[in-house]
Amino acid sequence: MPALNYVGISVPRKDAVEKVTGGAKFLEDLYIGPMLYARIKKSTVAHGRIKRIDTSKAEKHPGVKAVVTGREFPNKVGLYLIDRTFFAVGKVRYWGEPVAAVAAVSEKSAAEAVELIEVEYEELPAVFDPREALQKEAPLVHEHLETYERVPVFYPTPGTNISNHFKLRKGDTEKGFAEADLILEREYHVPQMQHVTIETHKAAALWSHDGKLTVWSTAQSPSIVRQLLAKSLDLPLGRVRVISNYIGGGFGGKAGATMEGLVIPLAQKCPGYVVRIVFTREEDVQGTFTRQALYARLKTGVRKDGRITALQYEMIWDGGAYTEYGVNIVRAAGYSSTGAYDIPNVKTDSYCVYTNNPVGGPVRGFGMCEMQWGIERQIDEIARELKMDPLQLRLINGMKEGSRTASGQAVAHVAFDQCLQTVAEAIQWGRKEGRYRGKGIAGLVKAPAQPSNAASSAIIRINEDGTVHVLMGATEMGQGMLTAISQIAAEALNIPVEKIEIRVPDTDFSPYEWQSVGSRTTYTCGKAVQMAARDVLEQIYRLASLELGKPAGEMKLDNDTVYWLKDKSKQVPLKKLADSYKKDTGEGVSGPIIGRGSYVPTKMSNLDPETGQGNPGLFYCFGATAAEVEVDPETGTVKILQLAASIDAGQAVNPQLCRVQVHGGTIMGLSTALYEEIQLDRGRVLNPNFTDYKIPTIANTPPISSFILETAEADGPYGLRGIGEQPMISVAPAIANAVADAVGIDPRTFPLTPERVYKAIKEKEAGTHSIPG
Amino acid sequence: MPSFAYRKCTNLAEAFKLLKEDDRAVPLAGGTDLTVGIRGGKFRVGALIDIKDIPELNILLADRDGITIGAAVSLNRIISFGPIRENVPILAEACHCIGTYSVRNRATLSGNICNASPAADAAPPLYCLEARVNIAGPRKKRTVSIEAFFTGPGQTVLQQGELVTSVLIPRPYPAGKGVYLKGSRTGSVDLATVGVAVQRRGNEVRIALGAVAPTPVRAGSVENAVNKNGETDWAAAARLVRDDISPITDLRGSREYRYHLAEVLVRRGLEQVMEG
Amino acid sequence: MSKNVTINFSVNGERETRVVEADLSLLTFIREQLNLTGTKEGCAVGECGACIVLLDGNPANSCLVLAAELDGKELLTIEGLARNGELDRVQKAFIDHAAFQCGYCTPGMIMSARALLERNPSPTDADIDEALSGNLCRCGAYQEIREAVKSCSRHNGEGRIE
Repeated sequence: MPALNYVGISVPRKDAVEKVTGGAKFLEDLYIGPMLYARIKKSTVAHGRIKRIDTSKAEKHPGVKAVVTGREFPNKVGLYLIDRTFFAVGKVRYWGEPVAAVAAVSEKSAAEAVELIEVEYEELPAVFDPREALQKEAPLVHEHLETYERVPVFYPTPGTNISNHFKLRKGDTEKGFAEADLILEREYHVPQMQHVTIETHKAAALWSHDGKLTVWSTAQSPSIVRQLLAKSLDLPLGRVRVISNYIGGGFGGKAGATMEGLVIPLAQKCPGYVVRIVFTREEDVQGTFTRQALYARLKTGVRKDGRITALQYEMIWDGGAYTEYGVNIVRAAGYSSTGAYDIPNVKTDSYCVYTNNPVGGPVRGFGMCEMQWGIERQIDEIARELKMDPLQLRLINGMKEGSRTASGQAVAHVAFDQCLQTVAEAIQWGRKEGRYRGKGIAGLVKAPAQPSNAASSAIIRINEDGTVHVLMGATEMGQGMLTAISQIAAEALNIPVEKIEIRVPDTDFSPYEWQSVGSRTTYTCGKAVQMAARDVLEQIYRLASLELGKPAGEMKLDNDTVYWLKDKSKQVPLKKLADSYKKDTGEGVSGPIIGRGSYVPTKMSNLDPETGQGNPGLFYCFGATAAEVEVDPETGTVKILQLAASIDAGQAVNPQLCRVQVHGGTIMGLSTALYEEIQLDRGRVLNPNFTDYKIPTIANTPPISSFILETAEADGPYGLRGIGEQPMISVAPAIANAVADAVGIDPRTFPLTPERVYKAIKEKEAGTHSIPG
Repeated sequence: MPSFAYRKCTNLAEAFKLLKEDDRAVPLAGGTDLTVGIRGGKFRVGALIDIKDIPELNILLADRDGITIGAAVSLNRIISFGPIRENVPILAEACHCIGTYSVRNRATLSGNICNASPAADAAPPLYCLEARVNIAGPRKKRTVSIEAFFTGPGQTVLQQGELVTSVLIPRPYPAGKGVYLKGSRTGSVDLATVGVAVQRRGNEVRIALGAVAPTPVRAGSVENAVNKNGETDWAAAARLVRDDISPITDLRGSREYRYHLAEVLVRRGLEQVMEG
Repeated sequence: MSKNVTINFSVNGERETRVVEADLSLLTFIREQLNLTGTKEGCAVGECGACIVLLDGNPANSCLVLAAELDGKELLTIEGLARNGELDRVQKAFIDHAAFQCGYCTPGMIMSARALLERNPSPTDADIDEALSGNLCRCGAYQEIREAVKSCSRHNGEGRIE
């Protein structure tokens, strides 16, 4: 590969100065008035028929401009399975579900008015455990599942609570288990968690007098929000405009359409006003996507030499009250269900199940943290049974060049072995450090979970002076999109990064982008930007050829100058070509230079409905985590002494930002391993703020060493692949494996709170089973 | 319309007058618990009477009676106050466990005890130090022992119109080491699952716990075993703590785990202060 | 008793007089009446630190303080750090170390760090952890934040801030 000038360099973030000076504008920092403030009335039962809603007192409250309920606004919305309404219609399906909303001239007036809305419920039998929800006699959360529109790759079972059953059949598991010397069958569990982005969910809507809708949203994906809202409201796309500003953290929680729908009907009733809603922390935790809980059963067959011969994986996911997005997490976990390992015979059933718990949805890792928890824990349990080094067992079964995933897709440019060995070495694997100290390792793999035709596009404008504007539909939520895309544009154009301008998206001006999710945009937007740059260069070289009288194919742009490759002294300033180039006679030749890039993956395919076989992965990114811990056996406290993380980025666009992302993902993984769990009481969140929903502070942050591997992805822009979610995936199992090594317990669920670890140690001493799934 | 009124006072008489005028008037010092409680609907107040600028509530002094900590003195001032660090470091250690640095810039010791959370980190050391709470009302002043001050979760002996003016750590200061051991979920900024203060006084020991009963409690059984019966098997002594506490199950821990953790931390505390 | 309070204070070096409602939080006042939107709300209960500002040089969670309590105080917000277009050293260090991602916690984080360096120009790792443990960063840039603050330490040969 030729030497790179701008990709692979740690330039400062494009948004750096704005973010350290307080100048970066997040949604709530904008004055987008004249403004009204919205508050929602939330259900106080988890499952109930709405017998009566009386909004009359609220309507008369001073300052109130509009009140809406689901009765007036029954429109459905959803990404993959359209099962959701903005407000509850007829019945509520989770505690905290919006049943009505108020717009008023002040927050206070809106809050007071919401209290005046009277709602009467007839409580219905509710179900809070997806395993119970699968039982015949379980109450139905959605009675008319058969009527819901859906993308045809999802398989609901009407008359049950199953909103998607993903099936995967690879090879012959009966044969595989027959070949095994050891068969291990265990249950594992993953609890609900929340993204708790420090910026909560916010949205604002303006219905202009001419019937145009503008929405400001903390959305990760303005194009999808526009599409889903336009469909739901039956509006032409052109009349809906969605703007995403800087986003104070996303992690999947702000993917798809989330709470924009709450303010739109209010805005419709108050044309000319911007109606804004800002979720409190408590509303955010209770009322926005949570990570779906998972009840998993794994049965693995393995030969004495360590080769895994068969895997049977059953996953029961707690989808919560609506699974419009969750069905695809269940699918992605299903088609990836061997994790980073090459297993010839696989049978997987992954069920998305409705319950009356908070709504499940995407969270960093999109099912991979949950699904690979069981895989990575079970490998350690097998290793102990076989008296084999867990690292060795991973190396034997780990995917290599040409290995096939659970869905039968061949993987390429794989250095998983190296990912594992690098982190093992970093923590001096194999050296026992002390009685209650232990080491653990886990691997990871993830591909973006996206439709096979999820597209990205880019426009590059060369300004009259030769500086550049890149227009993109991707969002900036901290991952560094603005910087990475600028660097790719700089590289593709051979113009310095400082001359590249790029902004957060506005669907009226930014080209289409499916979603900023799945660790995909650096790759997919990078592709689009490369295409747009090629388009720009063709135009520039054509003009340079006219100017210099040499062939266009022999030109080269270097920053502000285009020169002839064969004689550098033959050159023309870019600005002469870019400023509506004209001949010496004054006759115009070319208007402004605008390049266009439009990318869609061409090698992905749908999966066979019976076997789940096919190519769902745009690229597969591998990595690993190793952990060293010390456990206080008396209190159960787990202290993380060190963590090492490796990720194969293909090509780090910005090594410094890449490292920050790896560290950040590792800390989020640590956080789930030790602290995070939504505690529910009949669907009500008991810990909706940081007082009891604990995430790590700087004082909980151990030294983390990170290793960025660069095994180029052949089709990726400059060989890169996305790494945003990945570093989190292997952290919880690596820590749990280290705890297992330290004190001999077998965690089958997390977080590994002091109490849970202490109890498991006690049970082990008593000879009973350890932390149950 | 603002939901409550606010007034800053510069002398106690004025504060008492205002507190009397409105039976929903509440004194405001650091406000770190009060404002959260108002937001969450736990407190409904008519007026906040800001007492932070009243000079006598800002006293922080060591004299022949002991150390007097005014009601408006921030935790960070307490933590860095020389006489506290030298004579009763256990109090600095426990105050240091409360909230975050920025919260401790505003939060006060008196606020911590007036909020009367059973898990108040400052309370167990105050029990061990046999602190006295100075209370003033419109007509009279009174002093109660710290143990008498707490009456239940969120409940104290304070009457409407009264406020805590200061807390006294009486002399003689304990001759011997003291430790505050806090068990929590994260070990960083967190509420106590169990908090244990163990303070040596010569050959005796004082032990108190938080988050294991409706109020902070003294571990009388353990103290008795050590101080009266000469128990030196610290594990055996610590087991007796189970008779002194009555924990509940909540988000931070189960009743069973709290029993266990209390015992472990009491034993560790005894080992740390009674040996060497 | 009055439900409106007159307050005299300085904000980022400028003297001001305002009348505020008694129940208005300092955070809302800063954002909506002083229009200084760099200070953020993340939890409203003093746990996350996104709203930390300096009052008379000391970090305070502005969500837990009433605007009325600002009377007689000097308020410094993130907007007051850069002088004449020149970034403060802590701000520069945060950029150099890429000590943030989404940037939502950054203003509060920088204010806490800045106050730490004022009272302790040569903080150890433990001092930094202690001073910043009231600032939650969900992106997890803690390792970079620690390095950034350390780089401002006097022991790094770069002298005191200012």
